[in-house]
Amino acid sequence: MNKIYLWGIIVTVLMLVFTYIPLAISEGGLNDDIVNIITIAGAVALILITVLVVIKYVRQMQVDTATGELADENWDGIGKYKNSIPTGWAVAFLLTMVWGTWYMTIGYPVNSYSQIGEYNEDTEVHNAKYQAKYGDFTGDKLVEMGESIFLAECKVCHGINADGIDGKAADLNSRISAQTVKYVIEKGSDYQLIGSAMPMSDRNGLFNVNTGALITDAEIDIVSTFVANGMSGEGAEVYAGACAACHGADGKGMDYVAPNIATYTPALVVNILNFGKKGHMGVMPKFDRLNDKQKEAVGAYITSISK
Amino acid sequence: MFHWLEKHPFFFSVAVFLVISFAGLVEILPNFAQQSRPTIGTAPYSTLELAGRHVYIKNSCNACHSQLVRPFKSETDRYGHYSLSGEYAYDRPFLWGSKRTGPDLMRVGNYRTTDWHENHMKDPASVVPGSIMPAYRWMYINNTDINTAFAEQLTIAQFFSVPYNKPVPMKDGSSIIVKMGGSVAEANALALEEAKVIVADMKDQDVKDAVARGEIPEIVAIIAYMNSLK
Repeated sequence: MNKIYLWGIIVTVLMLVFTYIPLAISEGGLNDDIVNIITIAGAVALILITVLVVIKYVRQMQVDTATGELADENWDGIGKYKNSIPTGWAVAFLLTMVWGTWYMTIGYPVNSYSQIGEYNEDTEVHNAKYQAKYGDFTGDKLVEMGESIFLAECKVCHGINADGIDGKAADLNSRISAQTVKYVIEKGSDYQLIGSAMPMSDRNGLFNVNTGALITDAEIDIVSTFVANGMSGEGAEVYAGACAACHGADGKGMDYVAPNIATYTPALVVNILNFGKKGHMGVMPKFDRLNDKQKEAVGAYITSISK
Repeated sequence: MFHWLEKHPFFFSVAVFLVISFAGLVEILPNFAQQSRPTIGTAPYSTLELAGRHVYIKNSCNACHSQLVRPFKSETDRYGHYSLSGEYAYDRPFLWGSKRTGPDLMRVGNYRTTDWHENHMKDPASVVPGSIMPAYRWMYINNTDINTAFAEQLTIAQFFSVPYNKPVPMKDGSSIIVKMGGSVAEANALALEEAKVIVADMKDQDVKDAVARGEIPEIVAIIAYMNSLK
């Protein structure tokens, strides 16, 4: 028998033994597990194929002799044959060129990973999911949703009870405070509370039609209390004379003219969230990063608690 | 040339290195230069804002607060648009932070206000129940170091071409000019002007009095800085 085959058998046996050892010392062995059995069968097959292929090529090296026409070039006595390129190599080379062209023009620019691209895809998926889950919320569910948004975004200024934390921000349990009314009358207002710019003039532009003169300090005090009390008590005449023309006889405002100062409405809250405002306590920043449904929900919640 | 290189392995290595480096430079540098340009709408810090930034660094705010909104939906929902590299063009050093014990402050100027910061720095738990942030009462007493901020402005204007006293493009197509004083006295006067605007929205009488006297407590500077983070 050829020495090569002898070595082949020795190596095969050794490799099978070494494959078997970890199996033998492992707990449970093959454990009747089909995956273990297939793995071991694969290992054995690999060993046999490896040994057979090695034997084939070693044999070939032993017996092969070079044939063919030598090329003219010669490097330190080492020459080369004029062999044409094997078909497989030629095909692989051409395919690589095709793939390379595709990769440079389309593959990389269009399909490459981009963090922002992933973010945009995530956002799209999230928005679709959001729309499907919350898009048709109305009534109590919308108020509940508004409350959870309020607790996440608004409570740091308005407090968890929406009471404004001792005057640090507006108390949302009632529509408006007397100080706020007074501040607005004295300083005027232009905060797009109706969704578009419609400035209200300061006290130097507010006439009381009943007296035919500019609104006075006493009138400001009395009308502020009147509005803050939910449009009741003393001051109705001053309100009718100086404010009702724009804010309406009932204080509910008019489209495109003046906001509702009697109650909160979802639309009013959405406008405040969109544009922000500045009152006697400080600045209410705009929260336009909330989506439309969230703003609507906050509006529903504020409206519900301020009643 | 090539035959010569073939016979000199050392110089051959150097040549290979040069060729590959060149490819790298051509690929990387233009993009890098483009990305590090200030984004439209990013303006240099004014004197008071820069002084506030120093207060921020001095009190190690960056140990608990990051200034980097990552491009994840959960973050952009909470903090606003994800950060762009050009937005840090005037931050030396940047204050990305490495850990969020408190929230990110990259765009805090969009959703917190002067009066809120005033309440919050004095007693954080009074506005955020359960907050573990300590109170920073000394900021209401200590005065701001405007001179150092002005020195930094002078330096960065000269050596990094930070555009002070030059129009800076804004997002809406307009442009603003961030002023820098020509002398220490002028810088202090500018900072005081800015401080007066901030203090108008504050309630603490001691702070208001201090500004009326011409002093600038640190709280005013750090609020100016917070409001500039947008």
